[in-house]
Amino acid sequence: MPLLDLKGVTKEYRLGKVIVRALRGLDLRIDPGEIVAIMGPSGSGKSTLMHILGALDLPTGGAALIDGQDLKSLKERELVRLRGRRIGFVFQTFNLIQTMTAQRNVELPMIFQGIKRAERARRAAELLEKVGLAERRSHKPNELSGGERQRVAIARALANDPEIILADEPTGNLDSESGAQILGLLQRLSREDGKTVIIVTHDPDAAAIADRIIRLKDGAVIGESAGGDRDP
Amino acid sequence: MIAILKDFFFFAAQSILHRKMRSWLTVIGVFIGITAVVALISIGLGLNRTIDEQVSQVFGVDTFMLVSGDSFRQRRHNGTAEEYALDLELLRSIEGVKVAAAIRQRTGFVVGPAGPEGKAKQGFLTVMGLSPELMTEFSSFTGPLDVEPGGRLFEPGEIDAAVLGSEIAERLGAAVGDEITIAGDGDTELRMRVVGIMAPPDEAKGSEQGFSMGASGPDADTIYVPYAAMDRLWGDADDVLLTLARVRKGYDVDQVADRVEEELNARGAKLTAVTYSDISDAIGTMTSTVSASLAGIAGIALLVGAVGVMNTMFTSVLERTREIGVMKAVGAKNVHILLIFLIESGMMGLVGGIVGTGLGLGLSAIASAFIGRFFGVHMAVVASPALIVITLAGSFLLGAFAGLWPARRAAKLTPVEALRYE
Repeated sequence: MPLLDLKGVTKEYRLGKVIVRALRGLDLRIDPGEIVAIMGPSGSGKSTLMHILGALDLPTGGAALIDGQDLKSLKERELVRLRGRRIGFVFQTFNLIQTMTAQRNVELPMIFQGIKRAERARRAAELLEKVGLAERRSHKPNELSGGERQRVAIARALANDPEIILADEPTGNLDSESGAQILGLLQRLSREDGKTVIIVTHDPDAAAIADRIIRLKDGAVIGESAGGDRDP
Repeated sequence: MIAILKDFFFFAAQSILHRKMRSWLTVIGVFIGITAVVALISIGLGLNRTIDEQVSQVFGVDTFMLVSGDSFRQRRHNGTAEEYALDLELLRSIEGVKVAAAIRQRTGFVVGPAGPEGKAKQGFLTVMGLSPELMTEFSSFTGPLDVEPGGRLFEPGEIDAAVLGSEIAERLGAAVGDEITIAGDGDTELRMRVVGIMAPPDEAKGSEQGFSMGASGPDADTIYVPYAAMDRLWGDADDVLLTLARVRKGYDVDQVADRVEEELNARGAKLTAVTYSDISDAIGTMTSTVSASLAGIAGIALLVGAVGVMNTMFTSVLERTREIGVMKAVGAKNVHILLIFLIESGMMGLVGGIVGTGLGLGLSAIASAFIGRFFGVHMAVVASPALIVITLAGSFLLGAFAGLWPARRAAKLTPVEALRYE
């Protein structure tokens, strides 16, 4: 059974007086442990797809299933739990909380799950170590470089040990060297930890680490190809 | 849930410190109102306690007075006392009463000493009968009764002695040692020896005279005679202005006062017994009404402070929309977001409360010292723990309440909306 299964998903939303049809009958299956890159021009519905895959938004039509369970059948409370425990987000603009240290940022998802302070601190330290930032744990985001910030964001995404990592243009704001580090990290998460990694990207280097590349246009899948599966 | 609240308090503190300038301005808006309210309440309480102390000093906690009918309540409106009938001996015999003294007053025909031409001055004058106990037992109540040098007040047991008001003495042409005649009911007459002349009222000492004797203070226009002399002249007392009684040790003043009221009224009198607590209650009601209404006006400043908090929180929610989106994406429930913002606004209220309470109490101490010096009394500064605790809890709630609307708006944002926000 696929981990994520989208069947004829449509998504419409209202932007002022205009109704935008962001997704127009999209089909997509993603298996556990895969690295999938989703590529497409601006306005192709990448972000909307990302939001639905991350249970941040529900489709207007069709069905989006996680582990065979339709998102639409879940209560708000269950969607929150899903986002908190099974999915980790990585954003293009990092989206760290500026007033908190790296350590606190990584602890944040665990706070909402009610994990005890000591356990939280131990795990956050471990994750920062994993992304190579053990020395930077008490720095605030504005004291870190772009690459470091994105690594903190990845550590945060891993906080509750989710099965799925959703990365939205993770290298979009980084120089190529930092970008390569981030891609290497994401690749390791899949290879070593068995995470399912979904990367929405314009970056051919990012696509290159994927097992599969899905191409989107006008809210539908227009093609699929095998990824480069090479080291970035 | 408790553990998570601790984290949220930490978030709030960080976020407040992160925007120091704005947070301080908001806090200033809050503490101005709280300072005003705390200062006014504290001054009001201090005033109350000071009045209480003054009343108990003058009146004595073991003393009560009898006034006619409802006049204790009415006095506050028209300021005059009604005369009433009283059986002083009966009052003295009631269980628990240690001493009792009364004042009765009549207008009587008075003939002065014969002048140089053998002609005496005469006229209708105010005659006031005082129980000797009034001077010996209730001096704090009457205030100092000063007699001019060479004279004295009458003593217990004396009947035919009179003390003249200074003006009366002049008008009658009487000096200490002279005899005057007072005409009573029917053919009764009493020849009285003038034993003293009241010192003219000293205006400067006016405020020290304590409670006045009946309607007015020692009066230059009155003849003072022993209470027993009044009985001789006019028979049983039906013209009593005021009665004072002190209870025996071990008796409760309010209980004795009730018993006296009951027993005397059962014999046809219409009296009210007023104790120390009745008086201080009446004054207390008045001062607390005044201070409560002043504090109410100061509450408007508090309301303005709350609007300031609301404004700051709306700005904060708007600025942190993306942050809210991120928190929701990493598993925050709506109630978490709500709590984070409520705690933040509550904490601004609380800091305002702490500063405001401190400043308010300081202000009240300064005002008390000022008022105390002005009226020549030591004014108590009241910083009751209850006032402080209620103010601090109230200011946190005020802040949280002001933040409720912005926080609800933040909590209701959908994650996608919030993340898309630029």
